[in-house]
Amino acid sequence: MTSRGTTSRFLKSVLQNGVGRYVCQLKRVSILFSKKNQGSLGVRDFIEDGIVDYAKKNPGTVVYVSPQPARVPKIVAEYLNGNVKEEIITNKTSLEISQLMTKLTNQSGLDIIRIRKPFHTDSPSIQGLWHPFTNRPPAIDPIMPRP
Amino acid sequence: MAAVHLINRAVATFGNNCQRVCRNVSFTQVREKKRWMRAYTRIMALKLKLEGPPKPTPRSHQPNWDYHAEVQAFGIRLNEDFLPDLLKSAFVNPCYVQAEQERRRALGVDSEATALTLKDNIQLSKSGADFTKSFLSDWCRASFPNMPAEGVESIVGHLSNPPVVTNVAKNLGVEDLTMSGTFPAPDHVLQSTFMAVIGALLESSSSQRAGLFLRDFMVTQLIGKDLFDMWPVVNPMGLLVEELTKRNIPLPEPRLIRSAGASTVLPLYFVGLYSDKKLLAQGPGETLAVAEEEAARVALRKLFGYTENRRPDDFSPQQHQQPMIESVSSN
Repeated sequence: MTSRGTTSRFLKSVLQNGVGRYVCQLKRVSILFSKKNQGSLGVRDFIEDGIVDYAKKNPGTVVYVSPQPARVPKIVAEYLNGNVKEEIITNKTSLEISQLMTKLTNQSGLDIIRIRKPFHTDSPSIQGLWHPFTNRPPAIDPIMPRP
Repeated sequence: MAAVHLINRAVATFGNNCQRVCRNVSFTQVREKKRWMRAYTRIMALKLKLEGPPKPTPRSHQPNWDYHAEVQAFGIRLNEDFLPDLLKSAFVNPCYVQAEQERRRALGVDSEATALTLKDNIQLSKSGADFTKSFLSDWCRASFPNMPAEGVESIVGHLSNPPVVTNVAKNLGVEDLTMSGTFPAPDHVLQSTFMAVIGALLESSSSQRAGLFLRDFMVTQLIGKDLFDMWPVVNPMGLLVEELTKRNIPLPEPRLIRSAGASTVLPLYFVGLYSDKKLLAQGPGETLAVAEEEAARVALRKLFGYTENRRPDDFSPQQHQQPMIESVSSN
């Protein structure tokens, strides 16, 4: 499929975030893991060494840690615009999970799809749009619209 | 080989029998094509078609929810100091209190023994709405000194309109915390909750902080908005004449300055408005009347200082840090 057929959007931020003040868009993150399963080994390590530091560094994000008999450990990230993102973290090490958490924290929560233009401006042209009459002196002779 | 096959068959039948007898799936699970799956998925699909998708549940009824932590994080995320109790009461709507009382009555709970001590947000909402209105109109008057009162009113009206306020409230995470009688919370409830949050900020911090909050989250919604999208002016030429007479400028004189393709299906006329032989503004249009109206709108935008290419409004965050520096130096 060519890139034209895929879903796309323009570059934008949620609620003009960053124009006034920056608001971290990640509002809630829950870590679901198993206490026994081997695939959750890295998650348990991360919970032992990294999670408290993460929570202290990001006081605006609510962190939930819920051990449950789950075979597939997950990170469920909820964003301010209502989007929910699930990341599967089976067999990931503590370091990889911490990097993933940083990535999730920095994201805006908007869908990750093709962005049509890598730039955006709110005032498209300072001089005004070009048209064929731009920079031409106005006619001196009377102009009459033809019937 | 055949013997092995036979034994396998025997084991499989034994397993099936066992399943029928003791019904312990985990013990006698059979690895084969799951023939019950097709019927099950069909029933589920039919059920979905008949009943529709399940109703959305509020986030507070889903697992992993700590109301206190959420409310605390709400204030910190927005970089504001709220009094926790005040902020909590800002989220309690009168419709929620009513619904809760009715629910308790239906359950037969004694209303005197376990009284419902919830303070609703009517007061906070009112003070927040008043402050919002006064702050926004002050800001508009300061930013656009040439704008008449009607224009300021319509800009403020646009910013405090339910769609804009609800959008801001939803994207700031107010919706999850709102306690409303019905779910999903209706727009007017969300709006009054957001106003109550502003009222709570006004009481727990200062009016300066509340002003900055409004500037950062409400006024930024003006970016990229056209003046006449917010202010429906039916007769721009009449308004222009009125404004020019107020300012003692000679009345505008419309002149056709350019035209192209007049005999085609896509004609183009440019009308210029001259006042005292000086070009006030020019506007394009498909007919002369449309072009004249457009020119009048362009002239009005120039007059009020709300052109598209004006200098962007100042949203710099330096003003946040000023009080902090002052407090440090005073200590």
